[in-house]
Amino acid sequence: MTTSSASPKKAPGKAATRKRPTTGKRATVKKTPAVKPAAVLIVGAGFAGLGMAIRLKQAGIKDIVILERASAVGGTWRDNQYPGAACDIPSNLYSYSFAPNPNWSRSFSGSEEILGYIHHLVAEFELEPYIRFEKNVEDLSFDEKKGIWTATTDKGEQFAGRAAVMAQGPLSNCSFPAITGIEDFTGHKIHSARWDHEYDFTGKKVAVIGTGASGIQIIPELVKQAGHVKVFQRTPGWVMPRPDFATPAWNKKLFEKLPASQQAMRNLLYWSHESMALAVIWKSPLTRIAERVARLHLRRQVKDRWLRRQLTPDFTIGCKRVLVSNDYYPALQKDNAKLITWPIARLSEKGVRTVEGIEHQVDCIVFATGFDVSHSGTPFPVKGRDGRVLGEEWQGGAQAYKSINVSGYPNLFMTFGPNSGPGHNSALVYMESQLDYAVKGIEKILKDDLKMLDVKEDVQRRHNKAIQKRLARTNWNSGCKSWYLTDDGFNATMYPGFATQYAAQMAEFEERDYETV
Amino acid sequence: MASIDLDKMLTKIKSTQWALSDIDWDAPGAELITEEQWPKLKDFMADLMWIEHVGARAFAAMAKKAPTDTLRQIYTYFHAEEQRHANAEMALMKRWGMLEGDEIPEPNINLRLVIEWLDRYSDDMPVYVLGTVVPMLEIALDGALCTFLLETVKDPVCHQAFEKINDDESRHLGVGFSVMEMQGRGKTFIGATKMLAPLLDPRLMLGIASYVPLLNKMRDNIITMGLPEERLYAAMAKFEKIGGRTEDGRRNPWFQVIRQHAKLVVNRRNHVYHVPVDGMVKLTGLIPRRALPAVPSWVRELTYQPTA
Ligand SMILES: Cc1cc2nc3c(=O)[nH]c(=O)nc-3n(C[C@H](O)[C@H](O)[C@H](O)COP(=O)(O)OP(=O)(O)OC[C@H]3O[C@@H](n4cnc5c(N)ncnc54)[C@H](O)[C@@H]3O)c2cc1C
Ligand SMILES: [Fe+2]
Ligand SMILES: [Fe+2]
Repeated sequence: MTTSSASPKKAPGKAATRKRPTTGKRATVKKTPAVKPAAVLIVGAGFAGLGMAIRLKQAGIKDIVILERASAVGGTWRDNQYPGAACDIPSNLYSYSFAPNPNWSRSFSGSEEILGYIHHLVAEFELEPYIRFEKNVEDLSFDEKKGIWTATTDKGEQFAGRAAVMAQGPLSNCSFPAITGIEDFTGHKIHSARWDHEYDFTGKKVAVIGTGASGIQIIPELVKQAGHVKVFQRTPGWVMPRPDFATPAWNKKLFEKLPASQQAMRNLLYWSHESMALAVIWKSPLTRIAERVARLHLRRQVKDRWLRRQLTPDFTIGCKRVLVSNDYYPALQKDNAKLITWPIARLSEKGVRTVEGIEHQVDCIVFATGFDVSHSGTPFPVKGRDGRVLGEEWQGGAQAYKSINVSGYPNLFMTFGPNSGPGHNSALVYMESQLDYAVKGIEKILKDDLKMLDVKEDVQRRHNKAIQKRLARTNWNSGCKSWYLTDDGFNATMYPGFATQYAAQMAEFEERDYETV
Repeated sequence: MASIDLDKMLTKIKSTQWALSDIDWDAPGAELITEEQWPKLKDFMADLMWIEHVGARAFAAMAKKAPTDTLRQIYTYFHAEEQRHANAEMALMKRWGMLEGDEIPEPNINLRLVIEWLDRYSDDMPVYVLGTVVPMLEIALDGALCTFLLETVKDPVCHQAFEKINDDESRHLGVGFSVMEMQGRGKTFIGATKMLAPLLDPRLMLGIASYVPLLNKMRDNIITMGLPEERLYAAMAKFEKIGGRTEDGRRNPWFQVIRQHAKLVVNRRNHVYHVPVDGMVKLTGLIPRRALPAVPSWVRELTYQPTA
């Protein structure tokens, strides 16, 4: 299920508990008093982990260690370097408000430019010294007596911190899907999130499996390069037109000279995305309007009735991620491209066999099949008070308080935790509120010299009851299958409301919600 | 007999897939087709292939309207499987030298009308209308035609292909009749009046106007082939027997409609039905091909080549 950490599906907790020799584990923790705990231990150097470090520094907390399993920063944008990779939220909104960039070259910047921005964050806020590369965290355990979190890497190294921040990213693990016969295929295989830049597509016959957010960005680029591209689609998504254009020079200058103008632009973008919530999150008259816009987009770009039928979704818009593209539909209609909607029966030595009985022979298969998302586990074992294991508690679906703390796991903060996912707005808008909340909690721990800041169980329970009640009325829970839901249809991913509501929830840090020791 | 477990059925469908390349289309045996057989067989295969293809399109429409996700997936597979049957039958035609170049054989005019109807209206039909007509077509046409084919053709490759096709078909029928019973379970499904309401829909009437002569036309073709028409009727009787084996099945008003109609088809002495319908067959035979719009693009997806 994951590239480098234990599989959450296989319930790491179970195996871990059985062989959890409480003494053994404790012993390893005790064996390493040599590690002087940092104030804050952060796992992951993507937008979240780096943003966390920036906000902590700005609050005067500088005793930070960031553990990153790769040898470079950037997370999503370091890994997703496939041709056409770009954000689908305008860059002025998909960036940190505390670090505006007046120089975005387009309204929707490409992956490389976003990665450049992340590198710029590292340089400007001088984060490099805090980062330990090639530290793949495989275990995170809390020592109740000392009030210390210890991270253990795959090489057995240990790092400790009084507070810990899990910023390992919701979409950082990927693997080839479990399609029958995948090991029989002798051609080249590429996963969209681990692009092979060496492979030359010129003249090649290529299959692309998957037509989600990544697929529809890759396909137009591949159609330009490859000899022939066959696109295998299981379910079509809603595709909206993408108002993408290059930023004129005067505009960059204006943003640079008058930062307030960029803030105004960000506000405008923010509110226009907020209004999309009405269409995307709940079924409302705006939902129908949004669907009509998408249908018109399809009708304008695709003339053939059958192809249009194949591309028309049969779920409510917003139930899955809304896609944006101007060049996906035209690309599918190029002479060297073909959309295939027959179900895949299996992969064979030479290609993809579909149920209509035909073997589609290709040189290379590109898997744009998404990520291994853990709804009901954790990407590595997380052990809290009394040896409890988070993955076990989350078996039926992940739950947290305000998406960021979990009762029984004191001093632990998570970015992109349960029910924090945005369906309609920039992830970074949500992230900023999480970071500031975490700063408040961490400040409290350090100032009051607390061993434990633990959210009360009943507070967490009440919070989740309300969330699930609100989720029941959303489009995500309206019947389509998506990565937002567990196999049982439990939604542990999305936040059922406006970003503004989320920000309001995160603005308050109520001490009485917590037990302090 | 209890309805089948559709979830288990879906798993079984997914795990028992075959491909054209599982069959050696150049294996010896093609010479067993007699010269006398050849021209008739050519027409017969063309019809059969088109019926599969029409069935495919009907399943595509049913997938859009399926009441549950499992059924939607099952119909999506059946859509593709019918296409596979058509492809395999085309591969047989290719093997027997019945394809002119790479040409897809022309459908007869009645099939052509059905294709036209399916393309325009089938997606708007409630699932229970097609859900009853399709099992009828499968059991009658597929059933009667396939058995007859296997009795008259000695080519082992043909037998190999149809063994696989028939395995698929038995699942299609299993699901088909099971769903008909589910729909007869009035309370959980839909009231009879509501279910019959589409009968007044002019779009459905057009559908009936293309389905009705198709059956008579196929009867005529079967007779030309030397198949006693009773064989077709026997297959149609199976529809009544299996479809009506349970209380729920009998309560499905669409089962009743199709069953009554089948009785009319079988009773050649019923001139009130057959004179006008045979007239329709003749009349439709006069429709010039030019008068029909271009074939929809889904038709161009047919292929006899195991690999692409
Ligand atoms: C193709 C793509 C397009 C996207 N577009 C948008 C968009 O337009 N708008 C939007 O709002 N969101 C978008 N997202 C969502 C995106 O993931 C988030 O916006 C954001 O980048 C997540 O940042 P992060 O730091 O939480 O996670 P990541 O960027 O994934 O960073 C996590 C880091 O943690 C490291 N790590 C993971 N596990 C371990 C471990 N066990 N030990 C040590 N280190 C570890 C990883 O190597 C990685 O560097 C997109 C995602 C993808 C995949
Ligand atoms: Fe068939
Ligand atoms: Fe069938």
